[in-house]
Amino acid sequence: MTGRPSLVSVVDDDESVRESLPDLLRQWGFAAEAFSSAEAFLASEVLGETSCLLLDIVMPGMSGPDLQQELTRRRRKIPIVFITGHEEMPRSPLLVDGAAGCLVKPFSEAALLDAVSAALRGQILDP
Amino acid sequence: MTERPATFRARWNGLKAGGNGETAHEVTADLTSILDSVDVPIVVVGRELTVAAFNQAAADALGLCLADIGQRPRDISAFAGFTGLEESCTEVITRGVESRIDVRAEAAWFVVRISPSTSASDQVAAVVLTFTDVTAFRAAVDQAIYERECTKAILNTVADPLVVVDADQRAQSGNRSFYTMFGVSAEERQRTSLYELGDGAFDCAPLRTQLQAAVAALSLEQLRDLLGGGPGFQPVEVDHVVTAKGERTFIVDSRPLSFPGHSERRALVRFHDITTRKQAQAAKDMRSEEELRRSEAFLAEGQRLSSTGSFSWKVATDAITWSEQLYRMYEIDMDVAVTLAALRARVHPDDLGLLESIFQQARDGANDLEWHYRLLMPDRSIKFLHAVAHATRGQDGQLEYLAAIQDVTGRRVSEEALAKARSKLANVARVTSLGVLTASIAHEITQPLSGIITNASTCLRMLDADPPNLAGARETARRTIRDGIRGSDVITRLRALFSREEYTLEPLDLNEVTREVIALTLSDLHRNRIALQSELADDLPTITGDRVQLQQVILNLLRNGSDAVADVHDRRRQLIVTTERDKNDEVRLRVRDTGVGVDPENLNHLLEAFYTTKSDGLGLGLSISQSIIERHHGRLWAESNDGPGTTFSFSIPSRPTGISDPASMGHL
Repeated sequence: MTGRPSLVSVVDDDESVRESLPDLLRQWGFAAEAFSSAEAFLASEVLGETSCLLLDIVMPGMSGPDLQQELTRRRRKIPIVFITGHEEMPRSPLLVDGAAGCLVKPFSEAALLDAVSAALRGQILDP
Repeated sequence: MTERPATFRARWNGLKAGGNGETAHEVTADLTSILDSVDVPIVVVGRELTVAAFNQAAADALGLCLADIGQRPRDISAFAGFTGLEESCTEVITRGVESRIDVRAEAAWFVVRISPSTSASDQVAAVVLTFTDVTAFRAAVDQAIYERECTKAILNTVADPLVVVDADQRAQSGNRSFYTMFGVSAEERQRTSLYELGDGAFDCAPLRTQLQAAVAALSLEQLRDLLGGGPGFQPVEVDHVVTAKGERTFIVDSRPLSFPGHSERRALVRFHDITTRKQAQAAKDMRSEEELRRSEAFLAEGQRLSSTGSFSWKVATDAITWSEQLYRMYEIDMDVAVTLAALRARVHPDDLGLLESIFQQARDGANDLEWHYRLLMPDRSIKFLHAVAHATRGQDGQLEYLAAIQDVTGRRVSEEALAKARSKLANVARVTSLGVLTASIAHEITQPLSGIITNASTCLRMLDADPPNLAGARETARRTIRDGIRGSDVITRLRALFSREEYTLEPLDLNEVTREVIALTLSDLHRNRIALQSELADDLPTITGDRVQLQQVILNLLRNGSDAVADVHDRRRQLIVTTERDKNDEVRLRVRDTGVGVDPENLNHLLEAFYTTKSDGLGLGLSISQSIIERHHGRLWAESNDGPGTTFSFSIPSRPTGISDPASMGHL
């Protein structure tokens, strides 16, 4: 990793996630920004700089998949790693839609790092 | 007439003196005296048809005077009304045979006897007319005839046949009804024996005895004894009498008749026709017997069907009457006479005291009594009975209780079964609603867990850095602890929801109860992108209730609301939870959704068990919620919103009159 560190944006309505995830990401040398809603992320200046998006699926207002669709519509190809607290959420439709990964809470440090690294490498996980 | 007419005597003398000289003269003088003293008018008419002599009574009663002597009767004014008198005299003179004529003179009636007076030559020398005044007699006869006709007319209108029989019990005289009824003509009545009438129906011993007694020549005393009600004069009922009017039934009744101057006894026989009355009575008897039979059958059947027996108890004598059904309920042989002791023997030992106190209340004159008790049957099974008794006073003024006893065992068993089923259902509902929450709960727990892992990882990395970022490590360690506490709070809430099974009454703040439920459901709502807005009033009074049960209700309402908005895509999915204090110091909670709404016609059914508009629901949630709220003396209802959606509300009194039946609440 040279030059400016890659920016990883976290969109989650859970404050504890917004607090803890960016700190961990920064420990690995990423730049990190947190947003409490999809709408806030879309409105932010970092939209164009984001290299990877850690996106909560279930949120009040615009959901994770909604944001994904919106980004596709705007032709913004940001690799997305979905985060969900709900194990039973089906992964396949999201991944087919081009998600780079999906993390089910609680997830380990290693799982997070693997998912983010893979996303940044532009890998799309097999469904 | 005071004048003693010498001429009359002279004439009289003259008449008789012709043959017998002195002696005759004396005899004639005596005769004259005698004749004058007789109160009957006597007139002598000579052969030449002239009045020869008359006595004093003739002068007085007929008005003859001396000038009439030598006159022909037709010329005498006193005889003006005596039509045919002279002709009759002529006939007697001619034939020498006495004759009588009835003549009327003015208002008086006379019977005139015309007797020939024969001379020595056997020739009728004169006729002697004696005038008997029969005016009074004739009047009496006329009166008697008149009265007889009246009586006859009256008797002929009497519907019952009446007949007078002679000593041989043969019909003498009957009223019209008698002749028409028995088809006897007036001519043949004399020959008709009473016993031949009606095809011989009256030929029976009691009637013969009676009639023979009636016509027997008895002394007045004997008659009086008989009339005083002796057996001989008891009316006799005679059935199947063949008459001109068909077969009839009579009560035959006789009375002895005795007529002054008649030695023969007769009896009046009255045939009282009771055919119609008898038929009506028979019909009525049949009807009332049938009605009584039906009514008894109804009662017995009703008692059997309703498992209700009845008994009466006379307090003074302890005499007991039991209905059949009560025998069946007590399983006592119907042949056994029931006593209070037998009754007590069946009663469950634990209820004997209660029964004694009931009996004591009854002896003290309680008017209405109602009690429940149990029977312990020989096979150790238990029957539950419900008794209601009412005090009455019999005709003898004795205190008597009438009681109805119903076997409510079936009902009790059903009630217990129902309570168990309800309890099971409530449990199912609880498990179901909690099951649905599992995902939400899992999220509640994974959220802090996730934070703990991330924060602890960050913390380690900060410590491992060179130089270590101690401030950052401290911060992340604090967050780790905070998330740990958050997770343990979730566990505590879950424990509260799962662990308590018994119903517990405690003072509650409905807002706090509501917040706890919201905390548990919030993530589930978020997952479904439902916005929950809570507007909890600050001034809520404390209510008394069961925390877990009320939380189940709120949970249920939130879940319903969440389901209602699940299919909404064109507007905000929103639930608004409101608590408020209403005017009656009741605490109210509302859950308003912006969902698809409920058809007005379905709104009424929403609270019924197993009613559901959802494909995956049991339809129990609202029904159970309603029972819970009712047990809190509150009510639960649903209304359609002005805008889209439905609002479910419940209200609970803040000062309950006492939640009376904790046991029954425990079923839920």
